[in-house]
Amino acid sequence: MMRRHADPSLVPEAPERLQALGVQRRLELLSMVGDRFLSLSDPLRQEAEVRIPEEARLPLSAIRPLLDRVAQGWTRGSLETLLAQDFPDPAMLDRFCPGPSGRLERVIPPRLLVQYASGNVPGTGATALIRGLLVGAPTLLKPGSGDRVLPELLVRGLHETAPGLAGTCALLPWRGGQGGEEERACLKAADMVVVYGGEEAAQAVRERLSPLTPLRVYGPRISGGIVLRGGLADDDQVLEHAADAIVAYEQRGCVSPQVIWVEEGGRQSPREWAEALGRALEVRQAAGSVDGSVDRRMMYEVALFDAAHDPARAVFGGPEQGWMVLFEPRATQLAPTCLGRTVRVHGFEQTSEIIDAIRPMAPYLQTMALEGEGPDRLALADRLACAGVTRITRFREQPWPPAWWKEDGEGPLRTLVRWAVVEGD
Amino acid sequence: MTELTSRRLALRDRILGLMEASEAADEPTVRALARDVLRYQAAANPAYGRLVRARGADPETLNDWWDFPPIPVRGFREGGPGPGRSPLIGDPAQAEAVFLTSGTTGGPEARGVHRVRDLSLYHASLLAWARHGLHPSGGSVRLLALLPPPEQRPESSLSHMAGVLMAAWDDGAGGFFMDGQWMLALEAFEDALLGAQRDGIPVLLLTTAFALVHWLDHRGARAQPTLPAGSRVMETGGFKGRVREVPRDELYARTSGALGIPRQAIVNEYGMTEMLSQFYEPVLMEGDPGGLEARRLVAPPWVRTRILDPLDLTPVPADTPGLLAHLDLANLDSAAYLLTEDLGMAVPAPAGSPFPGDGFRLLGRNPGSTPRGCSLSLEAWLEARGGG
Repeated sequence: MMRRHADPSLVPEAPERLQALGVQRRLELLSMVGDRFLSLSDPLRQEAEVRIPEEARLPLSAIRPLLDRVAQGWTRGSLETLLAQDFPDPAMLDRFCPGPSGRLERVIPPRLLVQYASGNVPGTGATALIRGLLVGAPTLLKPGSGDRVLPELLVRGLHETAPGLAGTCALLPWRGGQGGEEERACLKAADMVVVYGGEEAAQAVRERLSPLTPLRVYGPRISGGIVLRGGLADDDQVLEHAADAIVAYEQRGCVSPQVIWVEEGGRQSPREWAEALGRALEVRQAAGSVDGSVDRRMMYEVALFDAAHDPARAVFGGPEQGWMVLFEPRATQLAPTCLGRTVRVHGFEQTSEIIDAIRPMAPYLQTMALEGEGPDRLALADRLACAGVTRITRFREQPWPPAWWKEDGEGPLRTLVRWAVVEGD
Repeated sequence: MTELTSRRLALRDRILGLMEASEAADEPTVRALARDVLRYQAAANPAYGRLVRARGADPETLNDWWDFPPIPVRGFREGGPGPGRSPLIGDPAQAEAVFLTSGTTGGPEARGVHRVRDLSLYHASLLAWARHGLHPSGGSVRLLALLPPPEQRPESSLSHMAGVLMAAWDDGAGGFFMDGQWMLALEAFEDALLGAQRDGIPVLLLTTAFALVHWLDHRGARAQPTLPAGSRVMETGGFKGRVREVPRDELYARTSGALGIPRQAIVNEYGMTEMLSQFYEPVLMEGDPGGLEARRLVAPPWVRTRILDPLDLTPVPADTPGLLAHLDLANLDSAAYLLTEDLGMAVPAPAGSPFPGDGFRLLGRNPGSTPRGCSLSLEAWLEARGGG
């Protein structure tokens, strides 16, 4: 039975139109638009560079690499890898194909995918839209309140460059939960819903949804970093990359390192490393604006007060400098910092100290930059994964997960679709 | 007697003198006393002394109290380094009272602790200023408190405060109408209101905004008592924005209707566990001519408030919101200069006010902060830790 589409900007035959294109053609069209955001002379890219810094309250110097990295995830190669990672044979999105067991398997996309993005980290909403279309799902996207420009430019690009995809996606104009009857109708028609946001946002959607409609929630996360002795041995590259990871999203991102542990007994003491990290932050171009300054001021004042009680603690930088490194010799817990370029640095002797600190936060853990080499690194990676970390990387890559990453521990395309199997052949 | 002990006693006498003659306090006297108190605290509390020196200052040469660093109220939490981080000067075991903040998230270690070495300073401050704010005309009054009695909640500074006011002013028939679990004794309270009406004794109702909403929501269709003229309400703890979705004007209108008292008989009190003095809206003395939006909180002469830019802690221009920092000389034995997490804005005194100088309006905490993106917020983190 045909479902009535809730949004008139999607054509009624959108599912069939996407299906008829086939996965390879969809990939080709999407990557053509994605490439435009990598071309500095393209009007889409130029408009993004003008509008996103203001919207995201990040300087252009932060937006340029961010746009590059986000759009690199939309290239042909990246999308091919993403498909290959999530499906044994991407052709399963078009027809029954033999699966690993030898049986015929087919992947069925939702006939209407509704996605709620949130927040102000550019790229989340647009990437969500691309994922939906890639699997062949007509997609309605509610962009994040501070991430509207990139989805808007992406949709415009699709109209201009890939008219074959016209009418298969649209942006929802209302804020989540404030769309009234229109929103209710969208959710009623959806056969898959994705929410990027906190508990409240997820709960608000869940209440409007049929209990049988699948809902995938990408909740808030906390990330950190670990520098093993080996990571201290070479040069200051690790430190520079850590500073870049802090600056990339001004600590707003789920991938942003809020806490960094530095192993004792290396070339630099953890305290020296913390101080050097401060110097690396000092030389980076300041953010365009300072946000959340009450939180930052409070964190600073309390850290100073704590340091007055315990001289082993130290505070480098401050609210007026636009960056802060809060050093505390040992951490018993993984706690977030405030917005902006604020990071906690702790020392450690035994990796069990880190595991004990992060394990209570398992439902929220995401990325851990792990600097060091060899079997030590792999052994600790194993323990981190068991404690709840879903992505172990290096500071250099920390802000830029590849398109094919297992976001929060799951293939981002697989989570959108259902599978059908033919037996008895 | 050590030098510090004698310094403390001399300061205590000066502060008590100021409280006893509160109308007569002149600015140079308060400034000199404030400076001496902070110099004493820097000497008697080594951590505070280090905090001052860490900013490149010698406490003994700083001349004005505002040149000293304020202690953040979060510094009263015990979760930091060392068991005695909460700023008490003296032996914790000898504290006459231990008050805890009412934090509901983050676990017990996230609650602030104020150990009070000398309750007489607290009581002197409380009674001297509450008389202006809540009981300006004196006379017989019946205190009804929608709070647990202090013996059931010894850690609640609000219950303690109500107990002190009750002992000083109540006509003998008032009381507390919540149990130790903060459950409202609805019938007993309604009876007490009717009793005051019958006896013709004005009521002073002491309540949190939260309890007031709860009472209004649960009293059903009971008849409105006609409280004697001069009855009034002190509500506290709710107007950093809204109380459970009840806007302040609506709550005041419902309260006024339910008790049969004018809106200008409802006084907002602003206090905090970390601070022994309180602020009141002076509506019982000045009336409420400008409406709720024009109300302001005023401090006693031994308290000074600065409104600071969170970025660099410099005073903000008039008409600009900023962080509230309070100097409270009643905090002689803990931290006299406090940096709160509350935002406020200066409100000048109306012409002819008995409380000259600026008051302030509370604006809440950190309005308009940028959405956090997809990283975990401090608030969510505290909740995730499952405190109670």
